[in-house]
Amino acid sequence: MNSISPRERLLRSLGGKTVDRPPVICPGGMMNAAVVDVMTSGIYKLPEAHHDPDLMSGLAGNVQRETGFENFGIPFCMTVEAESLGSEVDYGSLECEPKIGREPFPSVKEVEFRPRGVIGRTARAEAVIEAITSLSREYEDIPAIGSVTGPLSTAASIVDPMPFLKDLRREKDAAHRVLDYVCGELEDYARLMVEGGASVISIADPTATGEILGPKIFREFALPYLNRLADAVHAAGVPVIIHICGNVRSIKSELALLRGDALSVDAMVNLKALKGETPGITTMGNLSTYLLEFGNEGSVGKSVRALMNQDIDIMAPACGLSTSTPIENIRAFTSAVRETG
Amino acid sequence: MTKEKLYKGLADAVVDMDESTVARLSEEAVCNRFDAYETIDMGLAKGMERAGQLFEDEEYFVPELLMCSEALTVGVDILKPHIRRSEREDKHKIVIGVIRGDTHDIGKNLVKLMLSSAGFEVVDLGRDVPTNTFVDRAVEESARIIMISSLMTTTMEGMKEVVSILQERGIRSRFKVVIGGGPVSQGFADKIGADAYSPNANHAVRLANELVREDAREPK
Ligand code: B12
Repeated sequence: MNSISPRERLLRSLGGKTVDRPPVICPGGMMNAAVVDVMTSGIYKLPEAHHDPDLMSGLAGNVQRETGFENFGIPFCMTVEAESLGSEVDYGSLECEPKIGREPFPSVKEVEFRPRGVIGRTARAEAVIEAITSLSREYEDIPAIGSVTGPLSTAASIVDPMPFLKDLRREKDAAHRVLDYVCGELEDYARLMVEGGASVISIADPTATGEILGPKIFREFALPYLNRLADAVHAAGVPVIIHICGNVRSIKSELALLRGDALSVDAMVNLKALKGETPGITTMGNLSTYLLEFGNEGSVGKSVRALMNQDIDIMAPACGLSTSTPIENIRAFTSAVRETG
Repeated sequence: MTKEKLYKGLADAVVDMDESTVARLSEEAVCNRFDAYETIDMGLAKGMERAGQLFEDEEYFVPELLMCSEALTVGVDILKPHIRRSEREDKHKIVIGVIRGDTHDIGKNLVKLMLSSAGFEVVDLGRDVPTNTFVDRAVEESARIIMISSLMTTTMEGMKEVVSILQERGIRSRFKVVIGGGPVSQGFADKIGADAYSPNANHAVRLANELVREDAREPK
């Protein structure tokens, strides 16, 4: 199986099939690997590359080559969706990721519903799709992963998060209507990514954590929409990674109900134990992003080898990387996986 | 109803997120001419303190805590006009915000809400706040405590800048600087010369109370 391509390795892992060793990836979006070191040594830079398809695919290519991650990860932020649905976005700088300037809607009842398919029609989403298309045409062996912000995080990026979280208790129907709308948009957007050639879709939903929502609200407002989005991607023909941030202690039984092909979690979660508790699950993770930023090549290598004993199916950072993560540490991560595997 | 029973009922209603019971009992306190300040302090605020504890214990999560605070606000709005001026204890004013570059504001908002329900006057600077703004606004508001939140390792350096600006302007001793958020620690607070660190919203209230007491002892 020596000749297996990175794309095939990832797809086999996501399909629960045997592989020579786990792939090592970083899907983009929240888990963006366009760190400062990659940009200062190359010609493609942020924030410009958030807008232009050629710059975007150029930067994604540089990230892949410089870091050794076995995929292209696009886009580099989690604001494309919310911006299309009405939020003001500040595109940040080389060091600082784009952020929502202001959520336009003060509560779920005041959300203005835009006509269906609006995300796919905005210039930034078009740039994302074009970049995915050109990368997947040019490099058949390297999987292009399309990253989508999860339904709840997108909803809490167009509605002010504090009233939004209250509305999950006091305006349940209106909250469901907003999530239904957002989820439909995300489904269309993900389908366009797949049509463009994305090999995998990755969904990250940081506001939908057990720590913030607790099990009851996670079950009512996060789980069904994540699953609906995953089903839509499956129907379009590609596998889905779902990333859940933070400590999952309180939502273990809900995680078992997620219909993604792999579950990616943060560093505090023991993936070996999680696998024991949830048979059949494909695990992804979970090298500490703090270690990646503040450790050194030696400590990173050691940690990677320890993680690989946990039988993790897909190796990846545990969550979003800091933009000041040294490139040497990321390389130490990806090469340790290749050497150990 | 006795005072004690009413206070307990109010606290329970806050914990239960029961706005209509809070409203009814607050009206009753007003009718019975119970001391409004004491009713807030011994009833509503006690309830919020318990809700904060439930949050710390992971029995309540963010939406529940927000609903408790909503219930508390209903009571405060009814009782506040009846507080006698002389009784308004002078708790320190606090300015709070999320440091520049960072838009994670759920944690900051919880800290603010727990502080206000404990009686502090809190000025919210929002998120992605420039370092100078923390200092300018703290001076303008004659605040005594500056609270800064950061959830990202890339933005936490900005906290140090706030301390430096205070030093440069020669006004460092006028303020207590308290920091918090995921990547922040006591060690980091010591390193940048902040006065204190707090790991969560409930603890932040205890800390603010301590700082007020310390301040009262210190000669100015
Ligand atoms: C929810 C979340 C989001 C939401 C935020 C919604 C919002 N309006 O706040 C969204 C989806 C928008 C988001 C976006 C991003 N996120 Co985010 N996000 C999180 C997550 C999962 C939870 C944070 C949270 O709200 N927790 C719940 C609250 C209640 O807890 P808390 O904030 O810790 O607050 C408590 C205490 O810390 C304390 N406290 C907090 N502040 C203060 C202040 C004082 C003075 C005191 C005393 C106490 C105190 O009291 C609070 C209550 O007890 C964290 C991971 C994590 N587990 O922390 C990542 C995390 C913070 N995000 C991260 C990243 C990378 C991002 C993005 C850059 C992703 C991207 N590539 O675009 C963007 C940010 C863009 C920007 N420039 O700001 C990283 C940061 C990495 C780093 N550089 O250090 C984290 C750590 C996760 C990770 N490893 O990937 N995110």
